[in-house]
Amino acid sequence: MKLQLDPADEAFREEVRAFLREHLSDDVRRRSHIGMHPVHTGDRVWWNEVLGRKGWSAPHWPKEYGGPGWTHLQAHLFEYECRMAGAPELRWQGIRLIGPVIYTFGTPEQKAQFLPDILTGKTMWAQGFSEPGAGSDLASLKTSAVLDGDHYVLNGQKIWTTEANESHWGFFLVRTDNTVKPQRGISMIVLDLKTPGVTVRAIPTINGEPATWEVFLDNVRVPKDQMIGAPGSGWDQGKFLLGNERTASADVEKSWGDLRRIRTVAAAEVRQGRPLIEDPLFVAKLRELELQVQALEWSVLRVLLDAPSEHPVAARASVLKVRGSELQQRISELMVEALGTRGLRLYRRDMAFEPETVTPLWPGHVPGVTVDLLYQRALTIYGGAREVQKNIIAKLAFGL
Amino acid sequence: MDFDLSDEQKMLVDGARRYVRENLGTEARRHAAASTDGFSRDHWAAFADMGWLALPVPEDAGGLGGSDVDIALLTEELGRGLSSLPYIDSAVLASSVIAASPETAQREQLLGAIASGEAIVALAHMEPDGRSEFDTPVHTRATETAQGWQLSGTKARVVHGGPATHWLVTSRTDDAGKDGFAVFVVARDASGVQVSTYELVDGSRGADLQLEATPATLLIRDRVGAANALEEALDRAIVALAAQTVGSMEAVMLTTADYLKQRTQFGQTLSKFQALQHRMSEMFLETDQARSMLMSALAGLASGDPVYRAQAASGAKALITQAAYFVTGQGIQLHGGMGITDELGVSHHYKSALVFDKRFGDRDFHLARSAGLAVGPR
Repeated sequence: MKLQLDPADEAFREEVRAFLREHLSDDVRRRSHIGMHPVHTGDRVWWNEVLGRKGWSAPHWPKEYGGPGWTHLQAHLFEYECRMAGAPELRWQGIRLIGPVIYTFGTPEQKAQFLPDILTGKTMWAQGFSEPGAGSDLASLKTSAVLDGDHYVLNGQKIWTTEANESHWGFFLVRTDNTVKPQRGISMIVLDLKTPGVTVRAIPTINGEPATWEVFLDNVRVPKDQMIGAPGSGWDQGKFLLGNERTASADVEKSWGDLRRIRTVAAAEVRQGRPLIEDPLFVAKLRELELQVQALEWSVLRVLLDAPSEHPVAARASVLKVRGSELQQRISELMVEALGTRGLRLYRRDMAFEPETVTPLWPGHVPGVTVDLLYQRALTIYGGAREVQKNIIAKLAFGL
Repeated sequence: MDFDLSDEQKMLVDGARRYVRENLGTEARRHAAASTDGFSRDHWAAFADMGWLALPVPEDAGGLGGSDVDIALLTEELGRGLSSLPYIDSAVLASSVIAASPETAQREQLLGAIASGEAIVALAHMEPDGRSEFDTPVHTRATETAQGWQLSGTKARVVHGGPATHWLVTSRTDDAGKDGFAVFVVARDASGVQVSTYELVDGSRGADLQLEATPATLLIRDRVGAANALEEALDRAIVALAAQTVGSMEAVMLTTADYLKQRTQFGQTLSKFQALQHRMSEMFLETDQARSMLMSALAGLASGDPVYRAQAASGAKALITQAAYFVTGQGIQLHGGMGITDELGVSHHYKSALVFDKRFGDRDFHLARSAGLAVGPR
């Protein structure tokens, strides 16, 4: 066991830092740190292009599909450095979710058609899994796809489709067979969201504006070669995809970035006549969270580097999701606490990015903090509710 | 000791419950948030008609002289319906400060206007580097001129400060000494005031006030009297808001239990899952304990002993804040994705819990104050 970075990894990290210093302007850094969901659209599109040109936009992808071919550790170091430097977070749906599904399960034609534009961000993707009646119980989904000549005809409703409004394509789990066990009748289909019959509708959310969307599919005709994998294999691809999401959703990069931001906020805010950051009660709470994130980061490394364990890796991956999402909620709570009464103001998306909203009474550390707290309430729900994750841990770790 | 309600109190609760069910709630809150004032003037007029605005006002000033228990019974109902009207700010907090004023004519005129709903009075005590009304320096200066008092300074984060007709402004006077302040009233249309308003998370409107030689009327000059009046008024407001929060928690429990009985996943209703049953039990436990802390705070207010009162109000604030975050946060969690929508009330109740935590001193401040480790306002 060697618990230090190799010189080669140190050098890699320096290379990443130098690249970030060269390319990220102060304006981009400021907007990225604001904590709006999603991050500034223009910045994200631009950054995806910059990384795409460098070959760094998909840190986890193998070389043969246009990734950098990094080790898991290098990819982790890269993502950490990007976040700490204030790089805009790239859309997950293409690079983290559907991309790996396509290069693992897709046909050569599908790989050639979709992967290049995922890497550059030219095509933005949306995920259509959940339905009004199928949330945690995804296997009960009802959206149907019926073969009609060379096309599937899709009918149904998807919900919680993040950023569907800004997406070009979507990947959908649909039911192609009603006669078999529910899981085995599910297939994955990708489609252009401009196809006739697709309607996208905003869902106003807790943070005061739409943060997610519904997608209605009404007799949508999709060429049958846009199915990923064989009919009935969609459940396996969905599990593969959600497995990737759960590992990434520990998101310790965000937690470290937010913990650092709490120190900035607490240095600026005053309690009982002195900076909040000098208040021992507050510092103790902050330190406890820092220690928990530290533990979680080592858990991420243990999963990524395949540390030997007597417990199944899938159970430990669910730990990352459960603890990661709870920690992010607690961190956002502490940041809002640090803000004091300034935390009561609601900043809408169109205001939060504007430098003019920053005044002596409303300093730059305020916008986005409360909105992030509200948005984080969804974190223990999406990608498999916390309660379901805990069932998975009990089952996989102990056979309960 | 008994916890029974009088016939009048029962009528108050029944009337409030009916009004809230028929007129407030999520849809009304959304509508109010989209309006300029952040609340509905129609609701405000109805509050006046039903005597609710007069309830906290002393009888000698034309009010009903209701007790803090009466007020809590009412605000609990308002909390069930997600009220974000300036009821507590104007009718409880401001009226309580004004009632302590020795300036008889001002006192009667303002209290009468609060009781009738004609005046909406907001406390403007906090300044830019203040953390709450309990923890803020006062730099605003009052100068006595031939035309009367004039104020200059900045007041920050005045909740309902936008739609208010008057602000209660604290200010140093030449004779107020190093740490003290006097209390003035400033009319919304006074000269030399710049008001910038913004939306708060519960849809109400906050404001920052820039005062420049703004004409003001003196309410309480004596600095000890002003600080004591403000502290007592803040404790009363905290308890009224705590009752509102308990109402909010009750509403979340009911709606969440209903949802669990309706929503089917994995072939059965969510209500059949033991993990979720236990979560509901924990919410029940927290809400029950929050109600007990509310009673303990009401006992503190009724005691007439400022030390007991402070300890009880702060203790309730600290514990009920924690309980409210738990109950409303789990309410969202148990609703799944629907919980974070603007459409369902549960997301709004969570924001109300946030408002409760932030207003009049946060949880850590009140833990310290209940332990005798923090004082204010001074």
